[in-house]
Formats: sequence, C-alpha cells, structure tokens
Amino acid sequence: MELLTRLQESDFAAWVASSPSLLAYPSILTLHTVGMAIVVGTCVVMDLRILGVAADVPLGALRRAPRLVWSGFLINAATGFALFTTDAEHKAMQTVFYVKLSLIFLALVVYARIRKLVFLTPAPVPSSMSVEAKALAVVSLLLWTGATIAGRLMAYLL
Amino acid sequence: MDAFIEAIRATQISESFRNQVEWLWPLCESLHFLGLSLLIGAAGFFDLRLLGFMRGVSLRSAQRFVPFAIAGLLVNTVTGVIFFVSQPQQYATNPSMWFKLLFLVVAGVNVLVFETTYRRRLLALPADAEMPLSAKVIGAISLVSWFAVLYFGRMLPYLVPNPRSGV
Repeated sequence: MELLTRLQESDFAAWVASSPSLLAYPSILTLHTVGMAIVVGTCVVMDLRILGVAADVPLGALRRAPRLVWSGFLINAATGFALFTTDAEHKAMQTVFYVKLSLIFLALVVYARIRKLVFLTPAPVPSSMSVEAKALAVVSLLLWTGATIAGRLMAYLL
Repeated sequence: MDAFIEAIRATQISESFRNQVEWLWPLCESLHFLGLSLLIGAAGFFDLRLLGFMRGVSLRSAQRFVPFAIAGLLVNTVTGVIFFVSQPQQYATNPSMWFKLLFLVVAGVNVLVFETTYRRRLLALPADAEMPLSAKVIGAISLVSWFAVLYFGRMLPYLVPNPRSGV
C-alpha cells in the first residue's frame, strides 16, 4: 500500500495526471487505445482466419503478426503503467481492474498456444483447422471482448 | 450552433437516451471500442497488403476481411449517433469532432477513389506482386486516416469537458 501511495505521489504521476499539456494524460490515454486497436485488431483477424474467413489467405502471411501483437502490448503495458500511477491507490482496489488484467493474461496465453498450434507446427498445415484451433480462436475472441469491456468499465465501476 | 444543439436536446429520443439507465453510455462505449478494433484490424490487414507487406496474399483474398471492417464501422456509426444525439453539446462545437469527421471523410473518399479507379487493376495482380505506388498511397492514406479518426475520437473529452463519460 505504501508503495502505491509513493507511486501516486511521484513527480511522474503528478505530471501525467495534472500537466495541462495534451501530451500528458490525454495522449497517453489515446496511445493506450491505439495499442488496444493494434493488439485486439491483429488477434481478431488471426482468429477470423482460423475460423474460416478468407481461407485462401496463406497462413504464412500471418507469420509476422506477433511483432504487431507484442509491439501493441508493449505500448499498452507502458501507457497502462503510466495511467495506473495517477490513480494507483484506487485502481489497485478495483475488482474490474483485476478482471481486465486476468482476461488480458488469458488472452495472451491463448494467443501463444494458437501460434504454437497453427503457425509453428512443422507439419504441412491442413486445409481446415483442427477443432482445438477453432475452439481457441473463439475463446480468444471472447477474452479480448471481455478485456475491452472491463477496461471501459474501469471508468464507471468503483 | 446553440439553436441546433438545443433542437437536438429537445427531441424526445435525445431526452430518453439521457434519462436512460446508467448502463446505456458505458454499453455504447464498450461497443464503440470493440467496433474500432474490428475496423482497424480488418481494414488494416487490407491496407498493409496494399502497402506491400504480406507478399503471397492476393488483394482478392485480403479483401475478404473487408466486410468485418464495414461491420465495425456500422457498430461505431450507430453508437456514435447515440452519443451525439444524447449529448450534442459535447460534440457539435468540439474541434476534435471536426478533425474526426474530416478524417472520416478522407478515409471515405480514399475508399471511393480505390473502388472507382484502381480496384479492378489492383485486384487482378498476382498474389506475390510488388504493389504499384498507387496502391501504396491508398493503403497509407487509409491506415493514417483510420488512426487519426481514433486519435481525435479519444481526444474528444479533453477539448470539451465531458460530464457523462469516464476517462
């Protein structure tokens, strides 16, 4: 708890929270949304492909998708931390915050599993996806949807 | 502009949105965020191919994600209209809103130029084709304008105080 207080009272948190500059809180928050669009957008496209959309897009085309996912994730880990410092004591008490973090963690675990299953298997990729891959793609869509909603609700729930 | 804002606020639908249960605004915001991820993910895939990434994917195949971008855009149009109708004073005179609309128009005109002038020629290209300059310019304009729409949308509460929305 003391750590959270110190975080919230740091010069950095004060700058993020109360600098009149649009580069402070507003732009950090906006970057957090940009990162979300990159991570969730890329994962959704991959999930749709696994579920049979654009079946003629070769899977190899998505080989470099992890770079997008991880760069979006890094943007959001950094901007998310900066946003957290401005309201650390409160956010650390919010159930919905932990729900959001858990959903993101699970979504990334599912993403890594899908990647291993579909993209890193040496065997030639069959024309139709395995049941496991399709099930994971559905779970991935649900987890990212949940994480997005939980993130939005952080502004509304206590 | 004040008369315009008042006229919208006075409508029954605007009032019923405002008096709506507490969950209407957060629900629409959540849908708006999901819609933007779908739009940027699906349109972004096509744009990246136009820019020359993912050689081996034909534009014809990449195009199959486009209906999902349109679905995201529809969700965001409906939820966006709900935001505007319920609290027009937050948007009508907000410079961020004008920039957002400007980039929506840029994105729309860019789609029209693609559809009317370049679509047939570009879609006929083989899957491993290097993209011509025209394709790259259209892809770049699209990607930049969708992210600009997102940027100015997210900045809306910071150019006009927004009593209803959270942060």
